[in-house]
Amino acid sequence: MRLLTLASCAAVVGFTAPSFAQETLETVRERGMLNCQVGLPTPGFYALADDGTWSGLDVDLCRAVSTAIFGDPDMVEYQSVTSAVRFTEMQNGASDMLSRTTTWTAVRDTQLGLDFTTVGFYDGQGFLVPADSGIESALDLVGATVCVLTGTTTELNLADYSRANDLDITTVTNENVNVLVETYLGGGCDAYTNDRSGLAARRSAFPDPSAHVFLPETISKEPLGPVVREGDAAWRDLVTWTIFGIINAEELGVTSGNVMEMAANPPNPNIARLLGTEGNIGEELGLEPDFMVDVIAAIGNYGEIYERHIGINTPVGIPREGTLNALWSEGGIIYAPPFR
Amino acid sequence: MALVFESKPDRPPPRDETGLAVWVRRNLFRDVPNALMTLLGFYIAYVVVAAVLDWAIFNAVWEADTRRECLDAVGRSGACWPGVVEWLPNLVYGLYPKDAVWRINLGFLALVLWLIPLWMPRVKSKVAVGLTAVTLYPFLASYFFLGGDKGIVWSALISLGLSGLVWVWATTISERVTGQSIAELLGKTLAGGDNDVLQRRAVRGAGLVLFLAAYGLVSTWSLAEVRTQFWGGLFLTLVISGIGITFSLPAGILLALGRRSNLPVIAVLSTLFIELFRSVPLITILFMFNTMLPLFMPEGMEVNQLARAIVAVCLFAAAYMAEVIRGGLQAIPKGQYEAAASLGLGYWQTTTQVVLPQALKIMIPTIVGNFIGLFKDTTLVSIIGLFDLMNMARAVGEDTDWLGLFIEPFFVVSLTYFVFCFAMSSYSIRLEEKLSAGRER
Repeated sequence: MRLLTLASCAAVVGFTAPSFAQETLETVRERGMLNCQVGLPTPGFYALADDGTWSGLDVDLCRAVSTAIFGDPDMVEYQSVTSAVRFTEMQNGASDMLSRTTTWTAVRDTQLGLDFTTVGFYDGQGFLVPADSGIESALDLVGATVCVLTGTTTELNLADYSRANDLDITTVTNENVNVLVETYLGGGCDAYTNDRSGLAARRSAFPDPSAHVFLPETISKEPLGPVVREGDAAWRDLVTWTIFGIINAEELGVTSGNVMEMAANPPNPNIARLLGTEGNIGEELGLEPDFMVDVIAAIGNYGEIYERHIGINTPVGIPREGTLNALWSEGGIIYAPPFR
Repeated sequence: MALVFESKPDRPPPRDETGLAVWVRRNLFRDVPNALMTLLGFYIAYVVVAAVLDWAIFNAVWEADTRRECLDAVGRSGACWPGVVEWLPNLVYGLYPKDAVWRINLGFLALVLWLIPLWMPRVKSKVAVGLTAVTLYPFLASYFFLGGDKGIVWSALISLGLSGLVWVWATTISERVTGQSIAELLGKTLAGGDNDVLQRRAVRGAGLVLFLAAYGLVSTWSLAEVRTQFWGGLFLTLVISGIGITFSLPAGILLALGRRSNLPVIAVLSTLFIELFRSVPLITILFMFNTMLPLFMPEGMEVNQLARAIVAVCLFAAAYMAEVIRGGLQAIPKGQYEAAASLGLGYWQTTTQVVLPQALKIMIPTIVGNFIGLFKDTTLVSIIGLFDLMNMARAVGEDTDWLGLFIEPFFVVSLTYFVFCFAMSSYSIRLEEKLSAGRER
């Protein structure tokens, strides 16, 4: 017992996860609920509606995994915690997966006892400035004050960018986006920086959105994706391949509308394998053979999820066409290995 | 014939010494600098109040479907209340299922019912009523709030809570009507005469019948489980601070007594506990309990997140309260102990009859100050992902329809906190006045 405690202490100090002997899938099944960690409410990705329901792109990834396991998208317990404790909540086993616009970086992947599964959204850091400020490029921000969220990669990227280009940027930090936006609108800083996905949504809520423009530079790569604990390869496979399945479904033209038809009568072998009428991918993952049928019927394919939560017809309004987030076959880099 | 001294009635003060005009001249316009300060003060108050009223009422938007509509209508010059109104149920009840909020209301109604007798004249058993409110009410409330599968033990505890409430009202009515406690009244009516043993048996029998009836009633109830993840808003804030406050006072008294104890083990343990929890910020303790504790627990054992937060808050509050109480204990002159000892009172009698009543009385302002501090400190639980009032207010501004709306909800939340804290503070002042009646001449 003392050894275990010591080991746990070491685990905390060294930020390596204790090994949870029990398989995550087994734990989730026993509990009857998937503990999925999202962040404090953020539009488009994990939004909390006034009726208490969660929705968004990252939330749908939780729902997809829940459907894969239980056949029901609602067997999810959403844990909404601040960014500061997100990784600890994974390490201590409170959350089974983390799906909250978390940037995949080498340090996080190697030193926190966590594993990134795959990328669900490609983001990048941009700047927003008042249109009448005369600033036309991020390189004009010499000596400027910039509002930035604290405790995120955004803050670090800004520091790097400032140093690399000798900009001597001063930062104004806060953990609450609304406070930052208010500071920016009140003239407390010359520019506001965040991931572009967040910037677009925030600008739409400004008193006069057209008075603020994006600078052309994207100063960082922000591949965002779900995270699982290290040391449970089967669980990692399950989460990863559920997401791959959703992406493959879009590529193959399987939608929530036609999935039942296609499952009954698969038009080609790729679809047959995806929907489990052929092969045994589902069983190998510890799931029903036709788990993807349930997932797509309940959640839809990647394109449907995207358009539903952050597409141009939503308030968040992030265009997809011609960006990194288009399918690889349409000029983007959303790409999933084949389901076979 | 006895000479009786009778003073003449006082003459009224001279005319130019009374009245509003005199008061104003004396207090507000005594001399030129004083008059200038008064005018400046009025001007500042006017500017602030006018600006707030303009924003909150005159320029405010009361009907809109999204924040965009508010912005288009008045820009930033007026508040946008529809967002707050739409979120109001969440600000109060959290994400609790909306068709089950009657359970929360009923739970708090039970508390109000339980506490009303404390303010009623001619009720003698106030101490017992207060004690049962602290010890039995939580069981009743827990089932209303949490619901779900109740085992035999929990059913019995809930029934105990229910019978407690019935007893409180039975005794209140009995004492107000007949001046006797319900036990006396029952004993006399059931057993008659003055046979003490029979009376006591009758009372016990009645208690048992009440408990069994309550148990029968409770076992027919079945409320769906609402897991604590859905608790939030003002409700959660009240639950956490309520438990923290009720726990911290008795625990603080025990710890304070422990620290002053002559028994070395108890003194050292109490001191250790107090110093440990007092020298660490609450946020650290919350983090410890929330994120570290699961690492040390046996595999597969999950303790509810809310329970962990409440335990953390309780222990922290108890440590602080202990020092407050100790301060009060030290203010009691040694003569009081010696007087008690000379009367032959033992340790517990001295403590409960002589020392504590005096100490607690002089500590009221500090104790209530601590309660108020604790009430506000509970906002920290938002960091570990509990949607208390504060976190809920933040969520309003992240709703897609109301994106960026955060001043209005925080304004409402500030008012709510003010109302609760001000009520606690006023009550403590009233209590002080009432208890210090003996000191006035």
